[in-house]
Amino acid sequence: MSNFRIFAPLAIVMYIIVPFLFSGNDYLMGMIATALIIAGIALAWALLGNLGGMVSFGHAAFFGVGAYTSAVLTMDYNVPVFLAMIIAGFGASLASVFMMPALRLHGPYFALAILAYAHIFMILATEMTSITGGAAGLLSIPNLPVFMGFDFGTKLGGYIVILNIVSLALVVYHLIRRSTYGLALKAMHDSELATRIVGVPATQLKAIMLVVSAFITGCVGAFNAHFINFLDPEYAFSGEWTVIPIVAAIFGGYRTLSGPVLGALFIYLADQLVFKSLLPQGHQLILGALLGGMILLSPSGLLPIITNMFKRFSKKGDAQHVES
Amino acid sequence: MLKVKNLSLNFGGVKALQNVSFEVREQEVLGLVGPNGAGKTTSFNVFSGNVRPTSGEVTYDGHDILKSSMHKRVKFGIGRTFQIPQPMHELTVRENLMVSQRFGRPDKKVDQQRISEILDSVNLLHKSESDAATELALTERKALEVAKALATEPSLLMLDEVLAGLETTGKKLFMETLKKIRKQFNLSMIVIEHDIETISNLCDRIVVLNFGKVIAEGTPDETFRNPEVIRSYTGEENA
Repeated sequence: MSNFRIFAPLAIVMYIIVPFLFSGNDYLMGMIATALIIAGIALAWALLGNLGGMVSFGHAAFFGVGAYTSAVLTMDYNVPVFLAMIIAGFGASLASVFMMPALRLHGPYFALAILAYAHIFMILATEMTSITGGAAGLLSIPNLPVFMGFDFGTKLGGYIVILNIVSLALVVYHLIRRSTYGLALKAMHDSELATRIVGVPATQLKAIMLVVSAFITGCVGAFNAHFINFLDPEYAFSGEWTVIPIVAAIFGGYRTLSGPVLGALFIYLADQLVFKSLLPQGHQLILGALLGGMILLSPSGLLPIITNMFKRFSKKGDAQHVES
Repeated sequence: MLKVKNLSLNFGGVKALQNVSFEVREQEVLGLVGPNGAGKTTSFNVFSGNVRPTSGEVTYDGHDILKSSMHKRVKFGIGRTFQIPQPMHELTVRENLMVSQRFGRPDKKVDQQRISEILDSVNLLHKSESDAATELALTERKALEVAKALATEPSLLMLDEVLAGLETTGKKLFMETLKKIRKQFNLSMIVIEHDIETISNLCDRIVVLNFGKVIAEGTPDETFRNPEVIRSYTGEENA
């Protein structure tokens, strides 16, 4: 199934139908925007996992660094919000450079090393009180601005900004994936030696992916800071910013392009809008069972199930067309 | 071309290579033989950069290759295959070669015409587009292993038991392929192989290793008549 056949309907739904139907409902728009925040991190995480085979437990670090960078730049240095969000991406990329020594590790060792780095960043944010406000955090972080007459500080405006960030991340991911760099990175997932022996600088490519993944996550973190206008280290570097996107990516299909986005939308919205009302205390249990079931029944995730259904449906349609 | 001088490698107390010295000449096929555990694959691992030696020198066209990482050695013109084929999983046969060309060739060009030529030379052209590398039969995987190395435009090709596991007819056909690509691509080769007939048929010269030491060197006829070589293969009493 071509990427266009997946993206075209998805883009129509997200850019036209969702704003048209729900723009008046701030609660729902906020909810969908939060799902897209998770989608952005899930996509960045999957980029690292799919292209290069690295399992990161430290994306909360990039998210937190991005959030704090943008918040401090806008509050203390009056940098315009959108510019600060881009610089925040570079800030997160810079943070990822400190994690480069971990690239020599593989599998669980890499995952644990990255987790340790994430904790270090949280401690730094707590201790550097003069910059980050310490454990008390930062209040009154500037809202997303009015730009070309449109107020991005509203729930609808925020939704459009995060949707654009996720869309750009998808485009970047797609371009990387279809290049020869992408082919080499994809191959490194299961057969790193096979790539090294033909001249692929595997560690350098993985480093580039780490920087790109951190940049995307940093921008998403920055967006979140301006969307909720508050930060503290416990929140910004919370393990939830790692775990939920991983669950979403695996649920949607982390080796596919749009699987992590679909996974995040499904997981977060189903959890908040359905499971929570069914089981107010412990609604995450349903989510856990759902993920377990998905891994057992379709380890490749939700997207392959959907694409197979489409294929079957179109085959049936073709057959009926031939018969008639 | 490749000059190996006093190469030693210890794994803890195990002396895998002990003062190994030999050279590979321009457009020569050198057989590297010896019983299991003699240090043949370990030598390849040192040349290709999988392991660092304890001491010694390895130069290729005057370059001290031991200072370079694995991926940089490919650009000097050294290609290798593994005894257990290492295809790039998930990629098609052609994509395997595209990656090899893009990263292995000094000019970093992906040349589809050249890829077709290489695939044709190893009889894999019919498998190039749709087949994932993991879906190939053993002979085809071995052919892909050679093709991947050829795509990096090597001047020296190191083949590690590339015929192992193939049945007699397959072995003969594959050997003819190796002879053909040697001429077609002007290659020097180092061949690790257990089958004496294959080695005699393919190689210009042979180096015999035993317990990490070079015990004999010469033409196939000379070498396989050497009493020490016979002892190393068959045991003391048969020499």
